[in-house]
Amino acid sequence: MPASLQALIQKRVLFFGGKGGVGKTTCASAMALAGSRAGKRVLLVSTDPAHSTSDIFERKIGPEPVELLPKLHGLEIDGAFESQRYVANVKEHIKGLFGPHILKESYRQIDLAASMPGAEEMALFDRIGALIRGEDDRFDLIIFDTAPTGHTLRLIRMPELMEAWIRALSRSRRAMLGIEQDDATDPVMISLSQRLEHLREFRARLLSPRLCAFVLVMVAERLPIEETARAIAQLQDAGVNIGGLVVNRILPETSPDPFLRARHEQEVVYLDEIDRRFASHLKVRVKQLPSDVHGVKTLEHLASVLVTEKALSS
Amino acid sequence: MSIGKNIRDFFHGAAYGAYERELRLQAAELNDLFLLLCYMEIVGLPNPATLYLLPVYPYLLEQFHQWHRRMGMDRSPLGNLPCC
Repeated sequence: MPASLQALIQKRVLFFGGKGGVGKTTCASAMALAGSRAGKRVLLVSTDPAHSTSDIFERKIGPEPVELLPKLHGLEIDGAFESQRYVANVKEHIKGLFGPHILKESYRQIDLAASMPGAEEMALFDRIGALIRGEDDRFDLIIFDTAPTGHTLRLIRMPELMEAWIRALSRSRRAMLGIEQDDATDPVMISLSQRLEHLREFRARLLSPRLCAFVLVMVAERLPIEETARAIAQLQDAGVNIGGLVVNRILPETSPDPFLRARHEQEVVYLDEIDRRFASHLKVRVKQLPSDVHGVKTLEHLASVLVTEKALSS
Repeated sequence: MSIGKNIRDFFHGAAYGAYERELRLQAAELNDLFLLLCYMEIVGLPNPATLYLLPVYPYLLEQFHQWHRRMGMDRSPLGNLPCC
């Protein structure tokens, strides 16, 4: 099997996930660069509240897409910003539909609800959903650099959960309408149906192996291996396609330094374990670089490692 | 014309009058359930869909008003849910 992530460039949505500090952001950025070099219009989205994409590209990235390189945009999602934007949209939407009294009361209710705990997370989820549904047609490939594993798994389960909620609400509303007014033009029902439609599409894309893949980044150490195994089990349980694994920061095989040699010997054991436990998954090995990755130059090297079919793995 | 309408109303009332109260009660109950589902967050129950309900709030204001009147409360009983 060719050990390369080359084929993933043809997808529409990629997620990069893994334990904190294993190099998710670096790998996601390198993959975004590789995609843009292959002619795709790429959007690199960071969903980790502690954004570090801007550090890699050495420039400021905000909550709206910013062009970083030709055919490569970056975006750092911000919950507070998204929830404000969401609320502003809703207010704009209802502005022409109601009289001033109702509007005033509604605005108060809306502001109140939007300040509840969880509103920011939901607004963030809504934005991610819109991106995955392909709402922004400027991009062919959207790469998500995710927050550490637990947070992301929740996110992936969310469309399902939300769908169940909205469906229950629709049912309740429909039961009521059936008695009071036999009317398919009920604005509440229309709003709920539209939500449901969006959530279905979001979920369908997320679970389509043709359109979407999840890449897990890890290093050859005990804890990342265990976390990766758990993440794979949970992702597969959720029905998400695993695109491959990146085994990052592998030490040089020969070193005059006894400390590094000892580390490497231990690493070999873990690498064997990785090959054994994740046998059915595509794996790319990335060697430890002499310096850390920031700036486009070093990223370019990593990009070519990720998508070149010369087997870096055994 | 007016006689025809009266006759129709008479038979309508004779046939459905008894059920109408029942139906109205049932509709009101379903209405209340829907309101509760929408305003869960405000009475302290977490609702993951709150944000998606914001666009329908203005449509529910009238219903909410009807509810607290029906429950015999002149003004909104929920301080954080303003009504009248």
